[in-house]
Amino acid sequence: MIDEKWLSDKAPVCSNRRGFLQGVAAVTAGGALGVSIPLQGADIVAGASAQEAATPLPEYVKWKNPDAMIVHSDQTLETRRAYTGSVITPEEQLYVRNNIKAPDDSFIADRDGWKLEITGVKSPTVLSVAELKTMGLTTVAMVLQCSGNGRAYFQEKLKGTDKAIKGTSWALGAAGCVAWTGVPLKTVIEAVGGASPGAKFITGTGGEKIPAGLNPKDIIVERSVPISNLDTVLLAWELNGKPISLAHGGPLRMIVPGYAGVNNVKYVAKLSLTDTETDAKIQKTRYRVHDMGTEGSADVPSVWAMDVKSWVTSPLSDGKAGRVTVAGVAFGGMNAVQEVEISTDGGKNWHKADFVGPDLGRFAWRQFALSTELEPGSYTLVSRATDATGKTQPEEPELNAGGYSHNGWLAPGVKISLA
Amino acid sequence: MTSRVRLLAVVFVAALAALLLWAPWNNPDPLNQGKQIYLTVSEPRCAICHTLRDAGAIGEVGPDLDALKPDQARVKTAVTNGIGVMPAFEALTPAQIDAVSLYVSTVAGKKK
Repeated sequence: MIDEKWLSDKAPVCSNRRGFLQGVAAVTAGGALGVSIPLQGADIVAGASAQEAATPLPEYVKWKNPDAMIVHSDQTLETRRAYTGSVITPEEQLYVRNNIKAPDDSFIADRDGWKLEITGVKSPTVLSVAELKTMGLTTVAMVLQCSGNGRAYFQEKLKGTDKAIKGTSWALGAAGCVAWTGVPLKTVIEAVGGASPGAKFITGTGGEKIPAGLNPKDIIVERSVPISNLDTVLLAWELNGKPISLAHGGPLRMIVPGYAGVNNVKYVAKLSLTDTETDAKIQKTRYRVHDMGTEGSADVPSVWAMDVKSWVTSPLSDGKAGRVTVAGVAFGGMNAVQEVEISTDGGKNWHKADFVGPDLGRFAWRQFALSTELEPGSYTLVSRATDATGKTQPEEPELNAGGYSHNGWLAPGVKISLA
Repeated sequence: MTSRVRLLAVVFVAALAALLLWAPWNNPDPLNQGKQIYLTVSEPRCAICHTLRDAGAIGEVGPDLDALKPDQARVKTAVTNGIGVMPAFEALTPAQIDAVSLYVSTVAGKKK
């Protein structure tokens, strides 16, 4: 997969704690030449085609930064890799993935008046957002990531074969780290008498109106997650300190920290503690992890907890030899990320990177950085993270029919030339 | 020109005109067939989910096809296999799938 001629045969000088500029002569020479090097190495995996680059932002996300987004469709917008390196992702850069069309502004016309039906509890009830706001408060920073993030790498691997994986060709930008504010679901459940006996799942239903002529089970966004998540699930009304936009699920969103994006039900209108998973198509057969050539079903795992993952966010293009800071983001899904290693030769030699910036808790990502001296040449930058349970990113993850949960370290490598 | 020759000329021109009017390449049917499938034949109706101005459709579920502008192959694959929320349209014949694919890929994004 990696083109061998791009791998550097020069071992980099790793940053030690005193690490400072060496090879000043090399840097000066490079600068004096004033050579303009054509861009290479930017994330060009399937997805950022010329058409997508030119497509304007859909109306409901017109407020996003057009430079930061790749518009796959009006329901799928990806953050460009260069914009994924912030400790907290600004909303203007945050990716969007809607399974069905975003509802209209009427949903957020009266945010505090939005109603949530709660069932599967001792005292089923309907609560407004205003009432939820009186019951408790929490803020959780977490990685929000589409389960299909990285599918482009699976699809790339299948090129030239007779197999294909369908679905949006996300590379790395269907992910962000954001802070949700709301009320812990546990607090709400306690207030309404606790769970019904035998309840095993938290099931959230989106409030979108299903048009006539369609089977509701095929369309409805209704997801179930194990009830063990009662300790961490929140009903959120704020994203990064602002009322959640319609695009990101306002006025109320069910947030399941550590779980893939689809489980965070937007404009949640019903919250049930159920003894089985919902039989809605989006749960029953979709978003399942299964082998190529097989179909999704209740017999194979649902896309739930996310896995350890990281990627380099800088540098992404050619530049000057000399001091280079290789930086990126890393997370562990349900567990804190523990360590990140970087290689500038595509995985031959690894060096430990430092975490930089704040630790926002186990569900958030961390920025990492390694400053090093690189001589003129070609490099392949990769990062490899390990979580608090000792689980490390694989070189290449196993293919699955849906192209879900890609967390390999090899495919997202960045090829650059320094002069 | 003799009257006979004139008559022959008129008949010839009339025949040519008829040929041109009803020639396959001037037949609006392929697009119209696709449009009918889009609006009345597919189950569920394409028009319920997908906005497509040429068909007068404002969809409430799937991507706006005027924005997406899928090519014929992409439409054919989606209709045949399904994708995401979209089901596989097993009740449509290959000819019908070809017709609706041709239609959608031709008109998507054209009407303002």
